[in-house]
Amino acid sequence: MIEARETSASLESRVWSVLAEINDPEMPVNLVDLGLIYGVEAGDGIVRVRLTFTAMGCPASDMIVGDIREQLLREPGVDDVVIEVVWDPPWSSDRLTADGREALRAWGLSV
Amino acid sequence: MEPANSGTFETLLKRGELIESTSEMTPDYLRELKHTLIVSGDTELISAPAYYLAAKKAPSVNAFMTGIAIIQDELAHAHIAFHILEELGESQEALIFKRDPKAFRYPYAFDVPLESWTELVVANAMYDQAGFCLLGDIHEQCSYGPWKRGLVKVMAEENFHLRNGRNWSKRISQAGGAAKEELQRAVDWMFPLTVEWFGLPDNLKQHSAQLDYRLKGLTNDQLRQQWLSTVVPFMESIGIRVPAHQENSHFIVDYPFPCTFDAEAKRWDFKDPCTWDDVLTRWRARGPRNAEMVALFQESFAKFQVRPS
Repeated sequence: MIEARETSASLESRVWSVLAEINDPEMPVNLVDLGLIYGVEAGDGIVRVRLTFTAMGCPASDMIVGDIREQLLREPGVDDVVIEVVWDPPWSSDRLTADGREALRAWGLSV
Repeated sequence: MEPANSGTFETLLKRGELIESTSEMTPDYLRELKHTLIVSGDTELISAPAYYLAAKKAPSVNAFMTGIAIIQDELAHAHIAFHILEELGESQEALIFKRDPKAFRYPYAFDVPLESWTELVVANAMYDQAGFCLLGDIHEQCSYGPWKRGLVKVMAEENFHLRNGRNWSKRISQAGGAAKEELQRAVDWMFPLTVEWFGLPDNLKQHSAQLDYRLKGLTNDQLRQQWLSTVVPFMESIGIRVPAHQENSHFIVDYPFPCTFDAEAKRWDFKDPCTWDDVLTRWRARGPRNAEMVALFQESFAKFQVRPS
């Protein structure tokens, strides 16, 4: 049991690292620094990602979900990826990390 | 900060510095800059109705949103070009709303109707790639400061269009069957149209004022090669045939270039070579959708004009 829990925890931390490598298709900032990821759970080879988009009309949402699925399914120990889109609480620029804020400023977007 | 007219035009240009205002330009440079901006603005502007008429066929709500977002980007890019033209003394109103449809200077490819989601995503993969090559070159090389700076975000947004084109082309190809056949048919007529997009081959084009003035940095053939070097490997990687192959670092098209095109049937006749004069005649006459697309943004303009009573 203990071993299984440790595996889940280490898989979850790997999932966060993978998500931090995926850039938003429209802006030069990764999904974690953009504050889109609300939570990650892993167990029995299934990874659940809870996320939001910066707007309900986000034209890149299919691409973002597709990128996450594709990248996570390449990870050892991941058999399936379940993505849950969360609208409450809604995204706001407060969710940006310091790095995310800096990346967007450097790109010319005031946040 | 130095005054705008601190150096003569030639020294600024020779030193690789940026031209910032009309006071630093020669009349020839201004004319060539305006011409280049009009071609660019017209291309971005016409892609909006061209893409819109196909985006209506989107296979999902999200795909439609992506299509509409791309159209919004294209209109914004057109706006940048026309805004600069206005600062250079042209009237946006006259350029956009009062020109004859045949006077627009966008590539002929847009005059051939995009009629399905498949044709739209192939346009994103091939036409936007052509735009990316041309604008990327202008962004890197352009001697006119305001345009060079305006292109930073344009390039990032064009990347999004390319991704839409490539993601969907890959997805449609993987679906196989009739969907893949439709994709192949779209590539069959759109590929040669994009090859000719880059204009006369260098051996027929003796002189380019755009290169002299550093409005761009690469020749027509260099840009065409750059486009081929991205599109040919991509299409092959997703199992779609293209009439071109690589020899060493060079790409060669496998058909007589140029040759005749039936725009109504969307069909090339690779057995019927033609001359560049024939191509230029076809371009000047414009294609099937020219008037319809220009009317889409011109027809309401007159209705909302305040006329003196």
